[in-house]
Amino acid sequence: MVNLTIDGKTIEVNEGSTVLRAAQSAGIEIPTLCDHSELTPYGGCRLCLVEVEGARTLQPSCTLPVSEKMVVKTDTDRIKEARKFVLTLLFSERNHFCPFCQVSGGDCELQNAAYDEGMTHWPLSPGFNTFGVDASGPHFILDNNRCILCRRCVRACGELVGNFTWGFEERSAKSYLVADYGVPIGESSCVSCGTCVQVCPTGALIDRQSAYRGKDFQVDTVPTVCIGCSVGCSTTVGIRDNNIVRIEGRWAEGVSGGILCKVGRFEPVDDNRERITSPMMRVNGELKPVTLDEAVKSITTVMKPLAGKNGNGVAAVASTRLPVETLHMVKQIFSDNLKSSMVTSTEEGWSTTNTAAFAEETGKVFEGKVDALDMADCVVVAAADLANHHQVLGFMVKRILPTGTKMIVIDPESNDFDPFAEVKIKATKGTFADVFAAIKASSKNQSASELSAKCGVSEDVITSAGKILSESEHPVFIYSRGLTAKEGQPALAGLVDLAENCKGSTILCTKGKANSVAASQLRLDKPFEVGKHQAIFVAMGDEDPSQRLIQRIEGVPFLAVTAAYKSKLTAIADVVIPVEMWAELEGHFLNIDGRIQKVSKAKSMPDGVAGNNETLKAIANGLGVTLSSDWKKELTSRPSSMVIS
Amino acid sequence: MAKPKISTDWLAGCAGCHMSLLDIDEKIIQIAELADIRATPITDLKEPDESGVDVGILEGGVNNSANEEVAHRMRSRCGILVALGDCAVFGGVPAMRNFFTLEETLRRAYVETESTDSGGMIPSDPELAKPTEVRALQDVVPVDIFVPGCPPSPEVIFYVLSELAQGRRPDLKGDLLHWH
Repeated sequence: MVNLTIDGKTIEVNEGSTVLRAAQSAGIEIPTLCDHSELTPYGGCRLCLVEVEGARTLQPSCTLPVSEKMVVKTDTDRIKEARKFVLTLLFSERNHFCPFCQVSGGDCELQNAAYDEGMTHWPLSPGFNTFGVDASGPHFILDNNRCILCRRCVRACGELVGNFTWGFEERSAKSYLVADYGVPIGESSCVSCGTCVQVCPTGALIDRQSAYRGKDFQVDTVPTVCIGCSVGCSTTVGIRDNNIVRIEGRWAEGVSGGILCKVGRFEPVDDNRERITSPMMRVNGELKPVTLDEAVKSITTVMKPLAGKNGNGVAAVASTRLPVETLHMVKQIFSDNLKSSMVTSTEEGWSTTNTAAFAEETGKVFEGKVDALDMADCVVVAAADLANHHQVLGFMVKRILPTGTKMIVIDPESNDFDPFAEVKIKATKGTFADVFAAIKASSKNQSASELSAKCGVSEDVITSAGKILSESEHPVFIYSRGLTAKEGQPALAGLVDLAENCKGSTILCTKGKANSVAASQLRLDKPFEVGKHQAIFVAMGDEDPSQRLIQRIEGVPFLAVTAAYKSKLTAIADVVIPVEMWAELEGHFLNIDGRIQKVSKAKSMPDGVAGNNETLKAIANGLGVTLSSDWKKELTSRPSSMVIS
Repeated sequence: MAKPKISTDWLAGCAGCHMSLLDIDEKIIQIAELADIRATPITDLKEPDESGVDVGILEGGVNNSANEEVAHRMRSRCGILVALGDCAVFGGVPAMRNFFTLEETLRRAYVETESTDSGGMIPSDPELAKPTEVRALQDVVPVDIFVPGCPPSPEVIFYVLSELAQGRRPDLKGDLLHWH
């Protein structure tokens, strides 16, 4: 520990801490611009200058490490003058005319800093130099004229997302932000995760959807969890007049610590699908608006007599974007009470069946926590497409590679992570299990020549993978359904065996949609096969029905669908009941590392929308079914590959 | 003590700051009781007294030779010069044109704009003021007090006027400090 004095206050902080963080820990405010809690200190803006006893010049507190008996002042006239001067230079450099900027009036950290210093004007008038504007990207716009060169975006892109798209061209006042080697954003390596937009202190990076739709103080922010995929990142949803304005990550919270991907940040705000706002029933071949009671009654009238008829009775499918509460109700009504054996999820267990069966058969709890990536010195990506699915998990892998973490990609197909891999294993024959066995042998210094030959991989490649694994202390293995899709449980068994032979290892699985693990735990995970079923109930939530699902359902005598949006599925339904879209949901989701996370309702439903649980309760009521609300017990009653809590 | 004399004028602005001044409503009577309101664009008298005024207030940036003349005249005739509004303080919205050359902006205004029917002529009569780059007032004459805002709110304007009318220097901070 180090003791220092800031503004007369004695403060004890860890060695290696900066003066800025020490001051913040003691509640002493120092204005900053280039600093960000999640990024490494940069010392670029000079707004955080402080006076240090014995130092000739003012020092940037964000990059100044604390030392024993240091005496710091943060509020002298000399400092205040310096701050004003720093801001004056920033304002004079580019177009910082506030009246025509989207973040002005609350959201601009530069403007707020000037207000805090009581600046009524800019002592130096701007030079009116012009820089480029890049609106080629799908989700955000770069206006270099608003940039203060703080490089938060550059650091965020590299340190948090591992994408390294942003960089600067030219030098000093002429510097400007560029994607890659100066290509338009839309043609660059940018993955539109929007982390740079969230950290930008000015209006240099603005989000197309939320721009001009409300400042932070004008929107209600609801903390919730993203249901874009099974990772389950913590978000806040900004709502104004019951409209979704923007989605941001919550720094230092949840699975990903604040980073999101485009699926979580931008795409949900860009949703133009048509809502269903009234229950509907097919009358003379056409869907006509009816009351909820009428709609529910028509469902229960058809389904009640079908109770207990297996194979020619009722089948039900529920979306894995629905909360556990809803999935649990679907299970109770259709599986437990109507005794249908065809009750499943829209995922049909494709990402979980083998994992769940393996866990059940072996009793092994072999999957760990995403946090393990923070410590990982080796990441083994086994048939997981982290560049395109569960992207945040991919970011968390890519961002640790520059610090020396070695990546091994085991994927017979081309994988977008191949270019970043230390070792790529492309088996041309044999199985995944053979590859894992070969690596295991090699990591134990046994000969891998025969096993390598079996999977058509050069022994050198296997040996280098084995060497990396044997030298690593915290390897993390990430697999996806691709691992078991063709080869089933043996592939997974091979992976688990290899991981068990590596000290300090963790296994993660990408799973599928937001609640794929919950669906699996509730056994809503079988392939959806329609036989002579007389009626099908589909709880679609806000998910888009796949063509495959629709094809299998077509021709069934009676189809009831609960859905938020109109689709080809609702078009062929006999009864349609409108339900919540994601931002209107309240309930729990089980993510990839076993966290039960609560999703909060951010906005209210349009008039006429009934809601998932209300509808299912009404159906249960009509069928004379008593529903239990103890979904937690049910969720943990099946042995799982991970600790659920 | 005689009431302090206040005079105002406008340059390259939109008159919005003066509208905001009128928006102080009945409180303008309080100002009139405390101060002697002399020439303004919204009173009959158009030029500040040659004998001088205590406070001169200018709205708008300086974008041509006529503005320069008005600014210099006000500066020479007033004790305290107030830059009122974002255009006078920073250059404001009119300063957007500084990102282009004068030739480009004139061509856009008189030749290329779809609604313009001027025969494609850029006015060049020697009687006309000569356009310049848009400047903040402080780049043309020394300014004593800056009142930013687009426009400054009636509350801010009333505060500034009442302080000046009572011989005090307004200090804009906290809720009173907004650039637009």
